[in-house]
Amino acid sequence: MKKNIIILGGGQAGIYAAREIRQNDSKSNIKILSEENLLPYERPPLSKDFLLDKKKEEDLYFHSSEVLKNENIEFENISINKVDFENKKLFAKNDNVYSYDSLLISTGSENKKLTLDNNLKNDIYYLRNLEEAKKIKEIVLNKNKITIIGGGFIGLEIASSLSQLQKKVIVIEIGNQLMGRIIPKQIADLVQNTHIENGNEIILNKQIEKITKKNDDYEILLNDNSLIETDFIIAGIGSTPTVKLFEKTNLKLDNGIVTNQFCETSIKDVYAAGDVSNFYHPFYERNMRLESYQHAQNHGICAGKNIAGVKTEYTSIPWMWSDQFNLNLQLTGICDEYDEIIERGNDINNGVIYFFLKNNKIRGACGVGIIGKVGRDIRITSKLTEKDTIVDKQILSDQNLKLNKLIQK
Amino acid sequence: MSEENWIEVGSTDSIEEEDLIRFDHQDKTFCVYKLTDGFYATDGICTHEAVHLEDGLVMDDEIECPMHQGIFNIKSGEALSPPACEDLKTYPVKVDNDKIFIKID
Repeated sequence: MKKNIIILGGGQAGIYAAREIRQNDSKSNIKILSEENLLPYERPPLSKDFLLDKKKEEDLYFHSSEVLKNENIEFENISINKVDFENKKLFAKNDNVYSYDSLLISTGSENKKLTLDNNLKNDIYYLRNLEEAKKIKEIVLNKNKITIIGGGFIGLEIASSLSQLQKKVIVIEIGNQLMGRIIPKQIADLVQNTHIENGNEIILNKQIEKITKKNDDYEILLNDNSLIETDFIIAGIGSTPTVKLFEKTNLKLDNGIVTNQFCETSIKDVYAAGDVSNFYHPFYERNMRLESYQHAQNHGICAGKNIAGVKTEYTSIPWMWSDQFNLNLQLTGICDEYDEIIERGNDINNGVIYFFLKNNKIRGACGVGIIGKVGRDIRITSKLTEKDTIVDKQILSDQNLKLNKLIQK
Repeated sequence: MSEENWIEVGSTDSIEEEDLIRFDHQDKTFCVYKLTDGFYATDGICTHEAVHLEDGLVMDDEIECPMHQGIFNIKSGEALSPPACEDLKTYPVKVDNDKIFIKID
């Protein structure tokens, strides 16, 4: 049956869903509605190679317009301001109306903003999209002492890039470690050392009391009464799922759009994927919301299959990375449910990994090392986790023993 | 076919099965693989970002980049999984007297 399929949100989950639907369904109309007037692009380089000018805008696009044309996927730059799930219609600000048979919501997530005096709102920068990255890239050329508020992935990646551009960088983090939401402290401390060795200043356990503008510069007052002078401020303090459009509807929301393992929401024929979805993971037997490259892609693909009628469970083991200076940090699975921790390696030059086990099976692992040194072991770990393998702890803890010996074929 | 472009990499027992070694020649880096049906060679640097594939995972006929999990088919060089989208260059391999040679153009 030929259907009208609408994908709301033109990011990574949306484009991968669209192409997957087309692979399984040659007839239906597929239309992506995107608030950004750009074809779907890769976001990870924005805080790294794009700021460092190693990647240009044209290097970031997932697919060219020819690919979309060849696969008969429509892409429209439009802002939707009302949804009528009962009658399966979307209403745009310009009065356009879009009818759907199946709807995928892949609206992603948006940056949390600092609570500040109104007159400072335009002075603090955030980085999520290409336009913001372009602005930051241009402005920092003339800045020298830059403050990053928030010691999470995005803040630290920007801090690493700006340091490589010879800027003085200060990172202020409210918690007692960097990347505290999901990264074990042991790994965070190794990353922190690298920032300090490269000249970045890391301030932990401090809250911002007040920011004051002084001519073209700023003074940041912390809760211990210390004062930081800076000429540019970037904040990366987390994100929230983009669900405002659905708040007055009967779509079930709870830290994003609640979906089952088939990307189905509480409303028939409405699916959600990527950052916006709080999905049920059958392996971990709980709901989770992830913000990562691999998840956006694979969850989009899974939603695409289900929309096209190929019933598919989403069982992908979470995986993410962060690149800072010459370090590559990787995380697989979840690291907050364990009864035992095993350490592999103790030198960042050869890679250090912490495995989180429950009942002798790996639930998650986090590692960091000079680029290339933890990837293989983390990848094997994902496979061991997925297969629910009871692992030999001696092999896990001895870096001289290869982990692929643990994979049962 | 000119003989002079065949470069000796090492002995056949220097690579475990379903594994690889890195081979540097002049200013280039290659990866040489032992798969169940023989030896193969590709460029040694991922096409996505400049990282050595020697630290990657070999599974069946695929090499997976250790940095961002881009996947390539070792035999054809085809980029199979994002973020890799540009194919990896492959090179002919021959074995002579238990020595592995690759043909560099």
